[in-house]
Amino acid sequence: MIESIVIPMEHGLLLAAVLFSIGLLGVLVRRNIILILMSLEIMLNACGLAFVVVGAHWGQADGQIMFMLILSIAAAEVAVGLGLLLQAYRRFSSLDIDLANRMRG
Amino acid sequence: MNLDVYLLLPLISLSTVILTLMMLIAFCRNLSLTCAFSSIGLMVTLLLICAMAIDIQAAQTASLVDALVTPLIIVDAYALFFSGLMVFSSLCICLLSFNYHRARGEHQDEFYLLLLLATLGGVVLSQAAHFAMFILGLELLGVSIYAMISYPRAGRFSLEAALKYLILSGVSSAIILFGIALLYAAFGTLSFAEMAVLQRENSELDALYILAGSAMLLSGLAFKLSLAPFHMWTPDVYEGAPAPVTTLLATVSKGAIFAVLFRFFLSVDNYQYETILDGLFLLAVASIIFGNLLALTQSSIKRMLAYSSIAHLGYLLVAFIAADSVGGRALAIEASAIFLLAYFLTTIGAFGVVTVMSTEASDHDVDRLDEYEGLFWRRPMLATVFSVMLLSLAGIPLTAGFIGKFYIVVSGVDAELWSLLVIVVIGSGIGIFYYLRTIFAMTKRTMVTSVVHVPQTAGWTLAAVTLLLLVFGIYPTPVIEWVSRMAQAMT
Repeated sequence: MIESIVIPMEHGLLLAAVLFSIGLLGVLVRRNIILILMSLEIMLNACGLAFVVVGAHWGQADGQIMFMLILSIAAAEVAVGLGLLLQAYRRFSSLDIDLANRMRG
Repeated sequence: MNLDVYLLLPLISLSTVILTLMMLIAFCRNLSLTCAFSSIGLMVTLLLICAMAIDIQAAQTASLVDALVTPLIIVDAYALFFSGLMVFSSLCICLLSFNYHRARGEHQDEFYLLLLLATLGGVVLSQAAHFAMFILGLELLGVSIYAMISYPRAGRFSLEAALKYLILSGVSSAIILFGIALLYAAFGTLSFAEMAVLQRENSELDALYILAGSAMLLSGLAFKLSLAPFHMWTPDVYEGAPAPVTTLLATVSKGAIFAVLFRFFLSVDNYQYETILDGLFLLAVASIIFGNLLALTQSSIKRMLAYSSIAHLGYLLVAFIAADSVGGRALAIEASAIFLLAYFLTTIGAFGVVTVMSTEASDHDVDRLDEYEGLFWRRPMLATVFSVMLLSLAGIPLTAGFIGKFYIVVSGVDAELWSLLVIVVIGSGIGIFYYLRTIFAMTKRTMVTSVVHVPQTAGWTLAAVTLLLLVFGIYPTPVIEWVSRMAQAMT
């Protein structure tokens, strides 16, 4: 009986993939550093969702543990990112990433 | 002593040093003390790793062979070799950067804390046997490096470099994580060893998930290893980051990530998928060609070394691909370990010279080619060291670089990768041109009269690295013996 209401893993992974693509698109298209960091967060959380879905499919706790790891990693990454953003705003008086692009590559 | 605790000793000692240093900085800010403490801590860890490495080879038998500590960490000869390499290069960076930081004013102590944390990340990566540990090490390394790149507040390009690296490295981490989730969907486990068992015994695995997952994992890691066509960030970040951090990026970051990727591929045997092999082949060809061709046009030493490091990772991939044939696997492991050892020594030396040259320039690094003109007449020793490093990068005999490249070619021949070898030869040929161009620039007689002051700590470290490079180039037998036994044990 219960099996009939379980969401299949593929659906969950598809949702995660869509979220991931939205985040990736955001990073590529947006020029504001805050919005880029937000899109990055969406990508990382999409990965977290994928882990939870797969963990549920296998009936293991590993997926949720990885999700918690990802949460803390994303927090650390964004903390450093916001620190850099403050410095960038002070230096360039703008949050536009193109203004900060002065090297050739 | 409990075996688990014994095997964890390098991680324990490194973590203890980090925590103590944190306390030390909180109570007493003194750059000499901080640097001395971190160097001693790294030295102790290095000695521990060496002692364990000798121990493991001596006791080929029962107890140490099963090196899995908890399901997460594996401490075998391979892990010890790479951990030792990470700790050694971090020790060199620590000593080389002391005067560089002292000349840059106050609040430089935390740099050493970040350096040690990044090293811990590298050691964790080289000992990872589970994807949870892999992610932990990757981010420990990555997040410390973001902070280190933006460390100099007066730096012209450091902030820009840090932002670029943060965004691209964040994206590649996300791609890696999604790839791992797909692999988890296929295997139902996150441990390398269990995946390997499933791969061998169970033919009903979903190949689509494995392929997609491996491809995402590989492209994310190719970003971090700066393999072409994922190399766009490399020259900018190398140029913008302070020279000691560039050294770290080119050595510890790349070496650790390569070590864990290689371990994953070897244990799970991802080589059976043609698509992945083709992808690796294209990455190698693109890296060697683009790296060498773009290095030709650079007028900045740091950018030139950045492109040359892209090319060197391409050479390394040849050994990675050669591990495809089961018979040549031991040779391929041996080749990549020896190549990385030579690459580490050379890169530390080359960026070490840039660090020494930049000691007194407060807001940028001295890296324009014309600033090195006539260095032979102003600082003959420094110029000689730099020439030896460049010759080693070019792979001239009697230097470590030659041994490394020789091994790469041998493993390529063994696996019959003829087309790749042709590319390697062409790439090395182009490489010699721009390395020699730098050496010729240093021999020019010019009007530049600015005196370069070589600080003592950095000077002695550079001398030691050069000596090691030459010794390894002339008499590599002991190292090769150890490494080949390590490679035999891996297969």
